[in-house]
Amino acid sequence: MVRLSLRPFVVAASVVAVVTLLSGCADGSTGAGRDRGPVRGGTLVYATDREPTCLDPHNSGDMPQTYIARQYLDSLVSLQEDGSVRPWLASSWTISDDGKQYDFTLKQGVRFTDGTSFDAQAVVDNFTQILDPATQSSTDLLYLTGYFDKATAISDHVVRVSLKRPYSPLLAALSQAFFGMESPKAMARGLAANCESPVGTGPFEVTKWNHERDVELVRNDTYNSAPDDAKHQGPAYLDGITWKFLKDNTTRYGALSSGEADVIFNVPPESEGLAKSDPSIELQSFVHSGSPFSLDINTQSAVFSDIRVRKAFVHASDAKEAVESAYNGVFPYEGNNVSSGTPHYDAAHHEPFPYDPAAAKELLDDAGWNGRDADGYRTKDGRTLTVKLPYNADSAETPPADVTILQDIQAMEKRVGIKVVLQALDSSSMNAVWGDPKAYDLLGNYWNSPTPHVMYIKYSKATYDVDNGQNSAFAYDDELDRLLIEGTATTDPAKQATAYSKAQALLSSKAWSLPLYPIQTRLGISERVSGVWIEPSEGEPVLSDAYLIDGGK
Amino acid sequence: MVVRVTRRLVEAVVLLLAVGTIVFFLEHAVPGDPAVAILGGAAAHPTKEAVAAVTEQYGFDRPLIVQYGDFLGGLFRLDFGESYTLKQSVTTVIAGQIGPTLALTVSALVIAWLLSIASTLLTAGRPGIVGRLGSVLETVAAGLPQFWLGLVLLLVFAVQLHWFPVIGSGVLGIVLPALTLAIPLAGFLGQVTRDEFEDKQQQPFVLSARSRGLSDRAIRGKYVLRHAALPGVTLSGWGLGSLVSGAVIAEVVFARQGIGQVLVTAVSAQDLPLVIGITFVVALVYVVANILTDIAYVLVDPRLRHTSGAAA
Repeated sequence: MVRLSLRPFVVAASVVAVVTLLSGCADGSTGAGRDRGPVRGGTLVYATDREPTCLDPHNSGDMPQTYIARQYLDSLVSLQEDGSVRPWLASSWTISDDGKQYDFTLKQGVRFTDGTSFDAQAVVDNFTQILDPATQSSTDLLYLTGYFDKATAISDHVVRVSLKRPYSPLLAALSQAFFGMESPKAMARGLAANCESPVGTGPFEVTKWNHERDVELVRNDTYNSAPDDAKHQGPAYLDGITWKFLKDNTTRYGALSSGEADVIFNVPPESEGLAKSDPSIELQSFVHSGSPFSLDINTQSAVFSDIRVRKAFVHASDAKEAVESAYNGVFPYEGNNVSSGTPHYDAAHHEPFPYDPAAAKELLDDAGWNGRDADGYRTKDGRTLTVKLPYNADSAETPPADVTILQDIQAMEKRVGIKVVLQALDSSSMNAVWGDPKAYDLLGNYWNSPTPHVMYIKYSKATYDVDNGQNSAFAYDDELDRLLIEGTATTDPAKQATAYSKAQALLSSKAWSLPLYPIQTRLGISERVSGVWIEPSEGEPVLSDAYLIDGGK
Repeated sequence: MVVRVTRRLVEAVVLLLAVGTIVFFLEHAVPGDPAVAILGGAAAHPTKEAVAAVTEQYGFDRPLIVQYGDFLGGLFRLDFGESYTLKQSVTTVIAGQIGPTLALTVSALVIAWLLSIASTLLTAGRPGIVGRLGSVLETVAAGLPQFWLGLVLLLVFAVQLHWFPVIGSGVLGIVLPALTLAIPLAGFLGQVTRDEFEDKQQQPFVLSARSRGLSDRAIRGKYVLRHAALPGVTLSGWGLGSLVSGAVIAEVVFARQGIGQVLVTAVSAQDLPLVIGITFVVALVYVVANILTDIAYVLVDPRLRHTSGAAA
């Protein structure tokens, strides 16, 4: 899924100066005691940047929904970093030889926190709710449309998912909290009620959502359905979680350093140095699987329909330098079309068209952009080589460091004679830009997805035909389609690795995109807390194994 | 007085209708499709079928004039409908958020007045460095950007000194966000009060009071201040309105609940019912503040009690 937020580096230089001045008198906080292993008790304060609009992740499908949903919903299977899955609500499963039937055997004796029993019919009801237009789902449908046929309860505890065609990414997709299982009784209340207080089988349950402030969660005392890879089975150690929304970077980091928050999501890149030098703060980060933040190149635009111009554009930008300087080296550079956290990532395609202005100039000469206008930009038949790059002016969507990257690239392209026009637009105007091949030449985009199938989601004939903007380069290739379908048709990891590696080679050679940096989940954790981990499907923080080392006393 | 208030109320109804109409058509003039916004925005890549279903559900495909008729009908029933994104009734959303915003803005206004009165009494009309210092401080305060001031207060008094909580809840938690809004406003109020104060100090009634043997302190505090406060009182109505619409900065920095934050989210999500509902509330605050200003004016200036009575 798309959109993450790194709230502004609003911090003016003067504020930084204040911090520097005052950091001298920072109190040397003494250790909060020694960690003697898991203890029960206490409420953990978790502070994140963005507030979801609905707590039911089947609705819409934005990242903040999946991060919190993980705390109260369980999924059928649990993803591992290598792309394999382990049992969760499903204790085992079989896949038919033609790859079109998945039979899940479910754990028995599991109940939703409203008392409803979790069984095969409940799983069927979840698929029904996701597919119901009234649920207003976006993300879940992207994984099901075109593949999912039906779900049937074979017996009380066996559910069959039938597909229209083989689709091996299914298990990885179902591991996301976006596909967390909800109580049929709760879902029947309708979207409004379900958005406020969804009901799952998870380690915590939602008690109250104080909009614009926090969500209160309490422990599910009868929890018995932790995933196979959890650090312990049974109820969580914490009494509860206060899931706070602190949009402002300075505030969020301030809450952690002053002890008002125990864990914060998205440590501001500008505070990374402070956090590293603070022994009472632990940093954990995770590189998302999926497609990195990239500038997707519209292959239907007048100038970029020529692959030589696309290659020249990529060669001319020192993307590594742009990313590292804008993010102080906190964010790594990624030049492949999939992030290093993606299963079957192939490092050989890390940087297909390295920074090389001379090569860029040669390609542009070759493509006939030989003239020069008064400002030194290249021209052909009297037209200037101009490309437009609209971006969301909202700093929650395009953080200032991203704007710096865009401006750096603009300057780098100017050196070879390409004029990049940056257009800052409001959110609703941006909604009109997506999917319109006339509205942009370049578009900033990323896609978190637990499978290399993200390449198909972004670049295939099928998604081109869907015509909803997800194929933002407006490009596909028959051989690439074939390789990616080959990957989905097999469940053999070796065959998948071969197919997906070839797909990465082919995709990078097309120059449909200028990849920049991978999306990360970055947590700042106080020394008072232990046992926090990040799961790999969507980088969701897992708090069911976490505990306050003093038991909250 | 009654006529004045009635006229204000009629003006208010017309104003609110106009505000609603303008916001309605502005929101429809914006490029993007609200159905896409409901589905999480274009970056969430909703399918065409999902967009069609939502369009149908909310009736976005009906002629604009029909939608406007529906909208006006809702306004007269004081029914703002349901928020597109939050799936709750707009009234519920606002009811849950207006309390903290009003608490914040009213505290900010009170603090602004205390600061500006203190600055006026201590420094206005004083010869030499003291008078000039007060004037400079007010000018600087009036020019401080709120987001910068908020962050500085946060870093100094909450993060480093631990005098106040970082997250602005509770009684202690309101101090820094209220100061963030109050200090620039106090600068404005102080400037106009000072000008008036210095002008009135030259008036014959001051001389006559002094000749009756009143102390300087009594003259400044009792006589001159009463005159000097009038322009500030007028400004307060505008001040309260601008505090409500500007509260979002303090709300974001200090992570307070409030309608400012909701409005910003609603605008970018094209959540028309919520945008209209909050715009209405802000407009209503302006209207009520202006009526209160009128009343306060009469209380401060006894001369008006007679003239307004005669006018009625």
